[in-house]
Amino acid sequence: MIPVLGLLAGLAVGLFLDPSVPVWLQPYLPIAVIAALDAVFGALRAILDGIFNDKVFVVSFLSNVVVAAFIVFLGDQLGVGSQLSTGVVVVLGVRIFSNVASIRRHLFKA
Amino acid sequence: MSPERRPDESMTLLTTMMERPLDADYQEAADRRVAAGLPGATSTRTVLVVVLAILTGFLFAVAAQSLRPKPTAAAAVKKELVTRIEALQKHGTDQEAKVAALGKQVRDYEALALQQSGGTDLTSTIKDLEVQAGAVPLTGPGLTLTLDDAASTDAGADAGSRPSSGFQEGRVTSGDLQIIVNGLWGAGAEAISINGHRLSSTAAIRFAGQAIIVDFRPLSRPYVITALGDSQGMQQLFEPSFAGLYLSQLTDEYKIRSIMAGSDSLTVPGDSAVRLEVAEPVGPPVGSTTPGATTLQQGTTAPKRSAGAGVAPTGTGTSTARSPSDTPSGTTDSGTGSPASPTSQENPS
Repeated sequence: MIPVLGLLAGLAVGLFLDPSVPVWLQPYLPIAVIAALDAVFGALRAILDGIFNDKVFVVSFLSNVVVAAFIVFLGDQLGVGSQLSTGVVVVLGVRIFSNVASIRRHLFKA
Repeated sequence: MSPERRPDESMTLLTTMMERPLDADYQEAADRRVAAGLPGATSTRTVLVVVLAILTGFLFAVAAQSLRPKPTAAAAVKKELVTRIEALQKHGTDQEAKVAALGKQVRDYEALALQQSGGTDLTSTIKDLEVQAGAVPLTGPGLTLTLDDAASTDAGADAGSRPSSGFQEGRVTSGDLQIIVNGLWGAGAEAISINGHRLSSTAAIRFAGQAIIVDFRPLSRPYVITALGDSQGMQQLFEPSFAGLYLSQLTDEYKIRSIMAGSDSLTVPGDSAVRLEVAEPVGPPVGSTTPGATTLQQGTTAPKRSAGAGVAPTGTGTSTARSPSDTPSGTTDSGTGSPASPTSQENPS
């Protein structure tokens, strides 16, 4: 419950402050969001599986975001930024979907 | 995983991704904690988790806000202008419809007034003259000639081989339209409209920049010329004429697309911009020998003849006399712009 409240508080702060993102950071933002979503759903599933570990969550979250941003950065330098972004989105999207499916199985037994 | 070989083992990457999306770290950490005698899962209420949750929410909010396309000031101004243009265009169309309705009402009242004053024989004359002046919409058989720019309007190397150079050669120019319209008049057309704009005797076809202006209204391609008259006869007269040859040359040389089709029922609208410019008494009364009256009668009887009987001879005569003098000046004036409705004044005696 407390993490959910923290999430809402973070949302409220972000909406209220409305900070301006520097231009050089903007291409990495969508990928970072998807990577964060992946980590969050993975953590939810781990909670339901009864094997949640806070350090693993933090490390997987940060490494997901950093690696996704790095792949996009590398792709931009190589001139294949959009293709690599698509690849990252596909992989993370599949992970999110199957994690959500597992969560659903836990919650609804279906 | 089952020990026997799976049929889809060659797709291990996909299989792992689909079946074990969770990082192995969670399981390993849980095993380690269980081995150390602790419960497998840690609490979700640690400071680390809460801080990261706040961070995640912040990230989502910032991403959503900064990635949403923001309406710029220019876009707002453009939208405003578009709405204003659309409103004014609608207003203009409404007013045109109103003008047409009021014009019809005025004509009805004129007919009524003539009947009441005993001048009934003038009604048919007025009708003929209105037809000639282009004040009323007409329906009848005729031709439609559709002109369009060449499919590839890339400029040729030798610009200047056509009189209206400086433009792309595959484009339809106002000069082309003038020649073709004059040719159609010469072939016996009784009424012509281009893209729904009636060509009255005072209408002009001109260039303004790259656009063709008919009667001060810009046209956009394709250009649909509707000419009322005997479609068979017009086609036979038009094709061997200078304008017909000119048109076929345009098609051959510059790939300008043209389609000519006859039809039994075509409609040309009335010219909404017709207004009374000159009014003089006509008919039998006393002062019928003044020079002004005689010229006016010449001007009015000729169209009457052409509208009543077969159109070919008089149509050809007037337009061949007209086209050489008007093509250079860029108009299709017939020179008889005055008798728009000469009898709208009541007969004085």
